[in-house]
Amino acid sequence: MADPRPGPWGSPPRPHGTAPAAAPGGGPWLPAAGDAASGATEGTGPAVGTAIGAADFLAAQRANRRRTLVLLSLLTLIAAGLGYLLGWYWDAGSRTYASAGVVSASGVLVALGLGAVSIIWSSISLAWGGRMVLAMTGGHEASKETEPQLFNVVEEMSIASGQPMPRVFIIEDGAMNAFATGTSGRNATIGVTRGLLDGLNREELQGVIGHEMGHIANLDMRYMTVVGVTVGLIALVSDMILRVMNWGPGRSRDRGSGGGGAAAILIVVLIVVALLAPLAAKLVQFAVSRQREYLADATSVQFTRNAAGLISALHKLTAAARPFAGASRATQHLFIVNPLHQFGAKASALMATHPATEDRIARLRALGR
Amino acid sequence: MGTGGWIVLGLIVVVVIWVIATYNGLVSRRNQSQNAWSQIDVQLKRRHDLIPNLVQVVKDAMSYEQETLKTVIEARNRAVAATGPAQASVAEAALSEATGKLLMLMENYPTLKANDNVMQLQEELTATENKISFARQFYNDSVMGLNNAVQSFPGNLIAGRFGFTTGQFFDVPETEKAVPQVKLR
Repeated sequence: MADPRPGPWGSPPRPHGTAPAAAPGGGPWLPAAGDAASGATEGTGPAVGTAIGAADFLAAQRANRRRTLVLLSLLTLIAAGLGYLLGWYWDAGSRTYASAGVVSASGVLVALGLGAVSIIWSSISLAWGGRMVLAMTGGHEASKETEPQLFNVVEEMSIASGQPMPRVFIIEDGAMNAFATGTSGRNATIGVTRGLLDGLNREELQGVIGHEMGHIANLDMRYMTVVGVTVGLIALVSDMILRVMNWGPGRSRDRGSGGGGAAAILIVVLIVVALLAPLAAKLVQFAVSRQREYLADATSVQFTRNAAGLISALHKLTAAARPFAGASRATQHLFIVNPLHQFGAKASALMATHPATEDRIARLRALGR
Repeated sequence: MGTGGWIVLGLIVVVVIWVIATYNGLVSRRNQSQNAWSQIDVQLKRRHDLIPNLVQVVKDAMSYEQETLKTVIEARNRAVAATGPAQASVAEAALSEATGKLLMLMENYPTLKANDNVMQLQEELTATENKISFARQFYNDSVMGLNNAVQSFPGNLIAGRFGFTTGQFFDVPETEKAVPQVKLR
């Protein structure tokens, strides 16, 4: 790391030939990436000091895919359950609570309807989300001829990650930022701003591209889309519940007619759930987003075997922080640093998509130790 | 069929599913490491093609470094001619060293740094060197994944039955492990 060489020969800490297995006791970042992954393969001996393993992050990718499915099913179940309650309440309101059984035709109908909405909404978001992001950020595609270094760095990271080569977009904007989108390695796109290209050296650029490639390899776009849709759905159902409470057939004049305590309790529970669920879902979404950022940072180091580049890049990005016109609330979680807000300590607040840069750098330093 | 029968049937189904999943996992790991190997090959060939171009462009400006240039070209020719992995890895390691030295020396020639053509070739060679080491890194990672799957219990039962073997790590020959003697400036 004390290598004085400047210029494009710029990632010397892991010069050609220093395969990770090379030095027993490895570069400073060797144990690092081991921690970054599961650490389960630690200590397999110097001969296989490569323990940092694609094996690990490919396994992590599989686990992520599973988690996405579990999360989707779980949240869909919650949404369907809420929908069922809503329909049941509607049914019961039109008669009396006493006569209403547990089975409710409207309940099943609403629940099924919500399930369908969730699936359709997710599919549309997954199919169009990437294109929407590209359209919103207003980038143009780069080629090997126009941006040889950027293209090379992306290619290096695609080789290091074992992912197909993504498309590369450039956004003509002075702000320093980068994003990745795409539901799988096969339809992925990495976008960087002109400001980023001008402001970073090769090593730093590699760290940033590694981070974006980490998002792609970890299937974060897919994960976050599903989370986003479900959060939206929960907000929708909660809103419906509150509306029905106010306007539906089950409003107060019918309520006393044979409901009793159970009905009153149900109504209170419904209202509380309807008020709290969207907020809780939103907080979960932000928390997940922050964890994915940390994971992508760690994945970047795993690819580049060089934490210094990304640390230095994050310093520069923070110093040059300014809002970026091509971003919006819907796409902010895709960028390497939040394009809308300042990245100070306050960003660690519950409602932030990104951890504070200081925290990210602190974790990267811990990796590099 | 009694309860016991159903339980036995259920267990058989579970075992069959596990065998299929394990087998498919081994196949995809083996394919991944083979693909990673061919990626290294692609990048090595690319380096072989680039080096003569670079030497051609810089040889006039770097007239005092004829010895280095000669070493690079010789190393390159030996790497191209090398047959078999053992021979190739030694030759490629020597070539890496020679190329690294050349790129280092080029930093001392401001006229070269002002030359777009040279800068472009230098970037290409830098990228190719990086790609080689990243490809090797990914290959070694893939082999480790395969080896873990082949050797650990109970997957080794399946691996042994269907003839899956452990992969060979791409070892770095001693010359390449040596600390580069460039930190003089």
